Amino acid sequence: MKTINKKQFVLSIIILAACVAVPLIFDPETSYVVYFLFMAFIYVTLAQAWNIVAGYTGQVTLGLHAFFGLGAYVIAIGWSREMIGYLDPLGMFAAGCAAAFLAVLVGIPLLSKLKGDYFALGTLGLGEILRLVTIQGGAFTAGPTGILLPSSSFNTLTPHYFIALFLALLALGVTCYLTKSNIGLALVAVRDDETAAAASGINTLKFKVLAFAIAAFLAGLCGALQAYYIFHVEPQGFYSLNWTLYPVLMCVLGGAGTLSGPVIGAIFLTAVFELAKYAMPEIHPIFSGLLIIFSIMFLPKGLIGLKAGRMFQRIKRTS
Amino acid sequence: MHIDIYLQLLINGILFGAMYGIAAIGLSLIFGTMRIVFIAQGTMIILAAYGSFWLFNLWGMDPYVSILFVVPASLIVGIGFYQALFRKVAKAGQFPTLLIAFGLMALLENLMFVVFTGNSRALQTSYSTYTLTLLGMKISFVRLMVFVMAIIGTAGVTLFLKKTLLGKAVRAASENLEYAMLVGITPHQVNTVTFALGMGLAGLAGVATATTYAFDPFSGFVFGLKAMIALALGGMGNVAGALLGGILLGVVESYSAFFLSGGWADVISYAVFLLVLMFKPEGLFSKDTSAKL
Repeated sequence: MKTINKKQFVLSIIILAACVAVPLIFDPETSYVVYFLFMAFIYVTLAQAWNIVAGYTGQVTLGLHAFFGLGAYVIAIGWSREMIGYLDPLGMFAAGCAAAFLAVLVGIPLLSKLKGDYFALGTLGLGEILRLVTIQGGAFTAGPTGILLPSSSFNTLTPHYFIALFLALLALGVTCYLTKSNIGLALVAVRDDETAAAASGINTLKFKVLAFAIAAFLAGLCGALQAYYIFHVEPQGFYSLNWTLYPVLMCVLGGAGTLSGPVIGAIFLTAVFELAKYAMPEIHPIFSGLLIIFSIMFLPKGLIGLKAGRMFQRIKRTS
Repeated sequence: MHIDIYLQLLINGILFGAMYGIAAIGLSLIFGTMRIVFIAQGTMIILAAYGSFWLFNLWGMDPYVSILFVVPASLIVGIGFYQALFRKVAKAGQFPTLLIAFGLMALLENLMFVVFTGNSRALQTSYSTYTLTLLGMKISFVRLMVFVMAIIGTAGVTLFLKKTLLGKAVRAASENLEYAMLVGITPHQVNTVTFALGMGLAGLAGVATATTYAFDPFSGFVFGLKAMIALALGGMGNVAGALLGGILLGVVESYSAFFLSGGWADVISYAVFLLVLMFKPEGLFSKDTSAKL
């Protein structure tokens, strides 16, 4: 709950200015830096989305990929039927809303009954159901081959870059707002001791569903943007568990339950993954698995420091 | 549509589901003392399946003989994993443990992919396609053996838990860890035992998988997910319930695969899973109503 001091404010302005300047300095058509930051921003958004549900509210969800894939499919289905256009802000907003709507729909029954592992498993099942339903969806979802979008619309990565930057800032802004408002207090109260929170008059279900829906909204937006970049929306890639696995890892490695932890984790791990992909493409996923294990064993508190350690203890206490 | 078909589907489902049951018992034991759902279980099953597959293909060892090697090896691997990976973080709660299991799954899957390649493998013995005919029902021999293995596995684990001192310690720790510690049970010891048993059962399920299915390094995740569904159906921390949950899941899949299609069968089993989680999270076969949530 500390207020941003002047030094931090100036620093964030400088970082923001640098991010805006990147596509102007580097040529987005050839430069790797622009692509790298684009991916990093998407991961920052996803990691922050997971952070809101798990880090602040204490509800471990393993279903981020469900909302990511749903957002992508809203764009793919809408665009292929010419209801929305290329990089359509309204379309992306609709994708986010669809994801948030689904989150409320499944969140109310799941969150009112389930805690801990059971909730994690339920959300994991949700992703699988969506993937399988999409494969079985016939002409509407184009089945396992997926929907091919008009890739001729693509000419530069610059708009994607700025949208991703906007999403990352949106996720940060939302998290920042939450932590400084009464809603954030309620969320943290639910995480720390749900019974006590309920006894203090907090409608715990309402706040848990709210956090879940916000995360789904952000994940849906990320999926929509990725659909505009890949141009081929198919079930295996967009409902891939990696869209949950990587953000979780980034958030935990950086420091869950903190504002800057997921940002640091996301940028650091995107760099590590890209380096690994470049240097040893065959064994890169092995390396990622090892990294998860080692970071939990030897860096349980996250890169950011002690705060995540406190979260682990809280989760332990409530379990 | 004859009654025969329904009966045949039921038998297929039961034999099919027995394998989910073996995997689910392992999950149930680990959940009992460590309070985590070990998501790398399916991947361990596939690793054991590869063990059985290579023993057969390189040395011509019969898959049912390979149980004698694969299961003890899995037990040892289980002890090793617990001591090397989980011992240190077990105290820090479920969350780091869950994530390490996640990491282990990614690591093993991709390690197998590099070492064994991504080709789909199936163990072909001379009796793989042999079927028995009983009262007009066709029963696949290898599937029947899976069922027998599941029954033996369940009976073995139940006897261990009921009759041995170590097994009683495991049960005590599952019921109430604090009281168990008061009477001198060390959490690490029971955790090691349950982990080893869980991996041993994964080894058994691995041999069962190798004899009945084609598998590749990544089929473990879906398999593990099915075991989790079986576990949720049966109720966490309940050995016989886990086997019944697996069988029920097998039957549901068998009927929905026949009346709808293979793709929809999975959708239906996940939907059943979500419905049970929503309306009866303590499981369908749970005796005590105080669910361990």
